[in-house]
Amino acid sequence: MKPRKDLITIESLSDEDIHTILDSATAMKEIFTKSVKKVPALKGKSVLTLFYEPSTRTRSSFEVAAHRLSADVTTFTLATSSVVKGESVHDTIDTLMSMKMDYIIVRHKNSGIPAVIARHCNASVINAGDGAHAHPSQAFLDAFTIREKYGDIAGRRIVIVGDIRHSRVARSTSLILRRLGAQVAFMGPGSLVPPKGHTGVARLHTWDEIFTWKPDVIYLLRVQNERIDSPFFPATDYHQAFGVTEERLRRIEAQGMSIMHPGPVNRGVELCDAAMDYENCLVCNQVENGIAARMSILYHLTPGTLSHD
Amino acid sequence: MTNTYITNATWAITGQRIDLCLCPAAENISTLSLNEIPLPDIKQVEPAGQMEIPEQARVIDAAGKLLMPALYDLHTHIEIPGRSKRECIMRAGEAAIHGGVWGMLVLPSPSFCFDNGATLDSFREAATVRSVADMTPAGCISLGMQGLDQAPYNTLATMRGVRILSDGENFPSNILMLYRAMQYAEDLDLIFAVRADVPALTEHTYAHPSTTAYNLGLHPCPPCAEEIGTETLIRLAEAAGARLHLQLVSTAESVRIIRRAKERGVRVTAEVALHHLLFTHTQIGDYNTVFKTTPPLRDQTDCDALLEGVKDGTVDCIVSAHTPCSPFSKKQDFISAPAGMVMLDTMLPVLYTKLVKPGLLSWTELIRACCLKPVEIANPREQDEDTPRTAPLLLFDPQVSNIVTEETLACGTLNTPFLGQELHGVVTLPLR
Amino acid sequence: MPQLTSTDISAALEQWADRIAARSDDEPLGLVGLISHGDELARRLTTALQKRGVQAQYGAIDITLYRDDLDLRKERPALRSSYLPFSTDGMHLILVDDVLQSGRTARAALETIFEYGRPARVELHCLVDRGRHELPIRADYAAFTLESAEKVHVHLKETDGEDAVLY
Repeated sequence: MKPRKDLITIESLSDEDIHTILDSATAMKEIFTKSVKKVPALKGKSVLTLFYEPSTRTRSSFEVAAHRLSADVTTFTLATSSVVKGESVHDTIDTLMSMKMDYIIVRHKNSGIPAVIARHCNASVINAGDGAHAHPSQAFLDAFTIREKYGDIAGRRIVIVGDIRHSRVARSTSLILRRLGAQVAFMGPGSLVPPKGHTGVARLHTWDEIFTWKPDVIYLLRVQNERIDSPFFPATDYHQAFGVTEERLRRIEAQGMSIMHPGPVNRGVELCDAAMDYENCLVCNQVENGIAARMSILYHLTPGTLSHD
Repeated sequence: MTNTYITNATWAITGQRIDLCLCPAAENISTLSLNEIPLPDIKQVEPAGQMEIPEQARVIDAAGKLLMPALYDLHTHIEIPGRSKRECIMRAGEAAIHGGVWGMLVLPSPSFCFDNGATLDSFREAATVRSVADMTPAGCISLGMQGLDQAPYNTLATMRGVRILSDGENFPSNILMLYRAMQYAEDLDLIFAVRADVPALTEHTYAHPSTTAYNLGLHPCPPCAEEIGTETLIRLAEAAGARLHLQLVSTAESVRIIRRAKERGVRVTAEVALHHLLFTHTQIGDYNTVFKTTPPLRDQTDCDALLEGVKDGTVDCIVSAHTPCSPFSKKQDFISAPAGMVMLDTMLPVLYTKLVKPGLLSWTELIRACCLKPVEIANPREQDEDTPRTAPLLLFDPQVSNIVTEETLACGTLNTPFLGQELHGVVTLPLR
Repeated sequence: MPQLTSTDISAALEQWADRIAARSDDEPLGLVGLISHGDELARRLTTALQKRGVQAQYGAIDITLYRDDLDLRKERPALRSSYLPFSTDGMHLILVDDVLQSGRTARAALETIFEYGRPARVELHCLVDRGRHELPIRADYAAFTLESAEKVHVHLKETDGEDAVLY
């Protein structure tokens, strides 16, 4: 693929780029079977994880990915730094750039921050989630997981259920799947699903509509109460209205559909306990594939080249 | 003493070609008028070619140039973050004259908090000395623009000649305070200039509900907040018997609400920011912070309805909504960056290039919305006098075009969407 | 441009298989081709050995992630999946490549293969050895030696439509 410095959004990638990263992720996953689960591709390179929002999972996944490529990983701990005291992102980046980092992995609650950082420094910037905007590495691991399960994504149907409005996962994952030829639909309450005119994605209203539509994959989004300033839905309703209940799980099993979730799962909210043990529940595959996808992303970015975003 | 003559100028409203003899600066203001518009700078007017011009006189050939009253701007923020008040005043004045704007209503801001007589006095003094354009301050509605306690309206109005009250664009958090303020100010003939809003609906929102908002993950700002606010303010003003000026109207439905109110005789006037006529949310592109505004840039249907409102008089004025922002602050991410753009420097060239030249707005409509109506509303006066100030005339050469660069901007910041773009028209102001 | 034809290559592969079959040790045998081309050659050799009654495991490795020139390229090469469905511990491995030149690919292959386990012995075989070695690495077996050739292009039926070596 063409030299690329940053990965901020799925939009900025060509179809060829998407396929290259997915193909290389397959090769990366093969490394996990070796007795030495490490390759020297990024030996001597430094990777910084800069998370302004807590996320143990995504951060660890990137750190493991970087370690398996032999890069050195530095964790910028924000709780003890001045970042939380209102220091501007630009000043933080100036500080970090004097540390000569090659890759910076950023998560921030504001949409658009990684793009600002990418413009401001030579390091490769990977967006690990910005506000409600984008989460491209999650999109790759989701696409990779579906491709691994079904062979080809084109023609598959995926319904994404839950808080679409605030979800960067919904945005990035629906985008990559549509680019790869899948049909995507959103399902959720009106307060959490923007109109089709804005999203370009069809909206389903009930579980019955989902079962009639016959998706291959049901993708549940995490209910993120901490992000929401005033309630968008009555909390006690959620599982009955939008979650995978035991009764729905039986119908899912009967139709052989797969279940995905970006994690961490709120048991009893998005998924009933039994759903986690369902054979076509791909949540653990997603975690493992996350490392492979992130290795592929790290490998394909080249620090110091021109930004495409 | 030699007079200056301008020959072959085109009177913008009628297209008539005229010759003029300017009053020397020392002379009294004339009482001439054309189409009922006073021509304070001009001693004599004749149809082109009919003026007798003495041989030694200074003659400016204005062939191909338009003669029109200069613009008045009802919505400016002159504070440049981090700069001295002196510089803020000087730069806003220069920028205004450059853009064809002779006078402006200055809205209160943290450094220019017009909630007391002393601040107003020192501002007026500084503006007289530093500014080449006329600056009329708007008094605060509430102390410190906090929306809680009323400012001393009697002092502001009767002692300091304040005619318009505004808390910048803040919507008062206490609507009862506003209602009582409107009742209290009934006999002072004050105008309440307010931006309609329901803050609970627009807090932490950054873009019009649209593909742009969804794709960029920016929380959407529902237009109904402004529309509910518009209804609320109109009813409030109606009930209290106050005069209301609606700031920064941005949605098609707001225009319809105002039209209905005017039809039933409510004393309400309204303004639209030039950027809301020209741009939609799609301009935000990949988080271009120059296009971050409050209220946000909306849909094309809104732009069309707003322009229609200007043409039929529902929306009385077009304003610059001039808001200087430091380059650093606009380099931040979209959510952290401040809202607003600078417009004074380029006001008339933008109006001409984007609206008049493509045939969307006539010169007559422009002059009504940018020159006459704003003066009528603000009614600027000489200090300690009762004589209203009148607009000077300007010459506008539509043949010349310029590229907007850092060097051509006098306003002190660069947050204009026209940087690097070619704009048609050059302003000569003042003529004498 | 002179060339070796498919007949030359088939004959060479037969000789090559004979040479492998004639090995003196009795460790389990594995042929590991270097992607690309090396994997095809290894596959054909495995079949040829089977005809001789010699059992050999077949594998293929992509050595891209071990290259020493990744940083010198602006563009990161696409990765191919390795295929090594057996434990290499205690095996006699033969690394199969199409052209041996600088020895850098072979070095990367050695590094790669040792991260899968601890083979008893490793040999390096190639279709064409064209000298110009930059590292202390030599082929244990080369089907052809073309030290004077300016350029060598190996074409194989599976990837390029025909068997030929152009030089």
